[in-house]
Amino acid sequence: MFINYEHENHVYNVTIERRENYFFITYDNTEYKVEAEETKPGQLKIKIADRIIKSIITEGEKEKFVFVNGQVFRVKPVELTGKKKVRKREEGNLSSPISGKVVSVKVKNGDSVKKGEVLMVIEAMKMEYLIRAPYTGKIKNVNFKENDQVEIGQSTVDVDKEV
Amino acid sequence: MLFLKKENQSGVNDLFKKVLVANRGEIAVRIIKACQEMGIKTVAIYSDVDKDATHVQIADESINLGDPTPIESYLNIPKIIKIAEGTGSEAIHPGYGFLAENPDFAKSCKDIGIKFIGPDSKVISLMGDKIAAKTTMEKAGLPVIPGYHGLKQNTDTLIREGKKIGFPLLVKATAGGGGKGMRIVYSEDLLEQSIEGAKRESKSAFGDDSVFLEKYIDKPRHIEFQILADEHDNVIHLFERECSIQRRHQKIIEETPSPVMTLELRKKMGHAAVAAAKAVGYTNAGTVEFMIDKDLNFYFMEMNTRLQVEHPITEATTGIDLAKWQLRIASGEKLTLKQSEIIQRGHAIECRIYAEDPANGFLPSTGTISKVDPPKGPNIRDDSGIFSGIKITPYYDPLLSKLVVYAENREECLNKMKWALSHYVVLGVTTNISFLSEVLKHDEFRKGNISTHFIDDYFKDWTITKDGLPIDAIISLAVYDSIHTKREEIVRYKEADPHSPWKHFGRWRVGGRGI
Repeated sequence: MFINYEHENHVYNVTIERRENYFFITYDNTEYKVEAEETKPGQLKIKIADRIIKSIITEGEKEKFVFVNGQVFRVKPVELTGKKKVRKREEGNLSSPISGKVVSVKVKNGDSVKKGEVLMVIEAMKMEYLIRAPYTGKIKNVNFKENDQVEIGQSTVDVDKEV
Repeated sequence: MLFLKKENQSGVNDLFKKVLVANRGEIAVRIIKACQEMGIKTVAIYSDVDKDATHVQIADESINLGDPTPIESYLNIPKIIKIAEGTGSEAIHPGYGFLAENPDFAKSCKDIGIKFIGPDSKVISLMGDKIAAKTTMEKAGLPVIPGYHGLKQNTDTLIREGKKIGFPLLVKATAGGGGKGMRIVYSEDLLEQSIEGAKRESKSAFGDDSVFLEKYIDKPRHIEFQILADEHDNVIHLFERECSIQRRHQKIIEETPSPVMTLELRKKMGHAAVAAAKAVGYTNAGTVEFMIDKDLNFYFMEMNTRLQVEHPITEATTGIDLAKWQLRIASGEKLTLKQSEIIQRGHAIECRIYAEDPANGFLPSTGTISKVDPPKGPNIRDDSGIFSGIKITPYYDPLLSKLVVYAENREECLNKMKWALSHYVVLGVTTNISFLSEVLKHDEFRKGNISTHFIDDYFKDWTITKDGLPIDAIISLAVYDSIHTKREEIVRYKEADPHSPWKHFGRWRVGGRGI
């Protein structure tokens, strides 16, 4: 069985085969022969040579989470079309870093702004996040008004760069 | 007062029969459990998004508040008071945050004969006004930091006063707490926007936009003293808590004793804390916060009129249950603990586990927690409000739990905390656990060389080291998928799906296209 795991923009190609009481895992041209049992749902005890790996795996909606050696890894399934969607961050597209409420809008369409100027204030979990102008330019569009709910990744303000 | 206190045979007031807990999360759970141990019935309140929360499940009665927006739920005084009356609650425990330091709430309780578990509304009001609090404490003989605490709040006056004090300068919400409505200003050109920012944040968090200005002390420590005061003029302190490890003015790691504390300084500061409480006729549990400079001079900062988030470390080192004492004191019992009998023993550390992503600017993370498994072992306490399957929403503070460990000395305690953090399983929502572990491993932390600037000094541009997936994780995933994938599924994938990765295997690469 071939499996591809994606973790932080790297894909790991792994093969695994189960023969009798052993799992044979091949990764990066190395074969690992292990014994393993699922002691509780999602909880694994894996014997590899003279050491034991204890790990816990859960499945989210679109990803798996692995807890091993005190660390957590989030692994996504590989996209089936093989096309990697590289989300290009358009210049002047200021996406919200957080889901929250717009508490203040400092600019309107057509305003000239200086680099670093605060354009919008978003509040979430009682903290404020400032959306600042990435460069000097002109406001093309303000996508939210005060008290609007904004979701993570949504574009807050569009700014045209001064030429 | 409408409710009657009955005297029992020993002449001690009876405890409350039923208490409403006006909070959520770990602190509501902590208080409900204290009530249960004392045989007191509990009423939980919850907003729509908290209907499955732990505090709702464990309380005797749970009443829905509706709309999750704080102002419509955990901050809604009329709603909460009505529920307290309707359920026949004799007292309300406010926990921390939300209405804990709201004098109107304390007064509303008193007005209808429900005991507010905390000090009198007048004391909350006085201590909540940071300007009046400092003036009062200065009169009581406590040292304070120079600044502008005037009532003129227009921006021009504040800018003028700010320039007089000089930079760096602190702008802080008069009604503030927990780092909200607070700005440090390093130069004059940033003064105006900082004042306005602090005012705006304060208005939204506390409904009041007055601020004060203060000389900013370089690399201070934040050390606070726990006090307990009954309603019969007895006041004691329960030693210090070192709370210098803060990120954006929010404490993340607390410990006691402070690595810098001496017997002599402890005596002086403890005395000052008790004097502060007495000066305002304080009752119930409270905390006196001090700032300590490099030469171990201490200054009164503020008094928190509530049970603190970090109270468990004091409980660990003194053996005294602060939540239970709050309930006893509020019911009129005398403080039977004598100052001379309280002993500080061993060392305790608390780490606050937050739903935030250290690799992404510590932004709060939301989602469903797919699995929680806290570490267990001798002297490990996990005050938590989470469980597998709970949804973390953006409505409230992202604190998930508080991990508290206790050991004979600081070094043992650090080792225990490192072990405990590395065995704390939280999956589904990103937490700050990896970051806390890194802080504990830092050499200067180990030596106790800390200040409130510690995180900025050593962890400003910190991100998680990205070494990719370790082989142990790869093997675990492969074994898991092997166990959980049925043979038919593999076949179906192979044959039915034209875009199957198995078909493309070997011809596919990241960042490119199938060739």
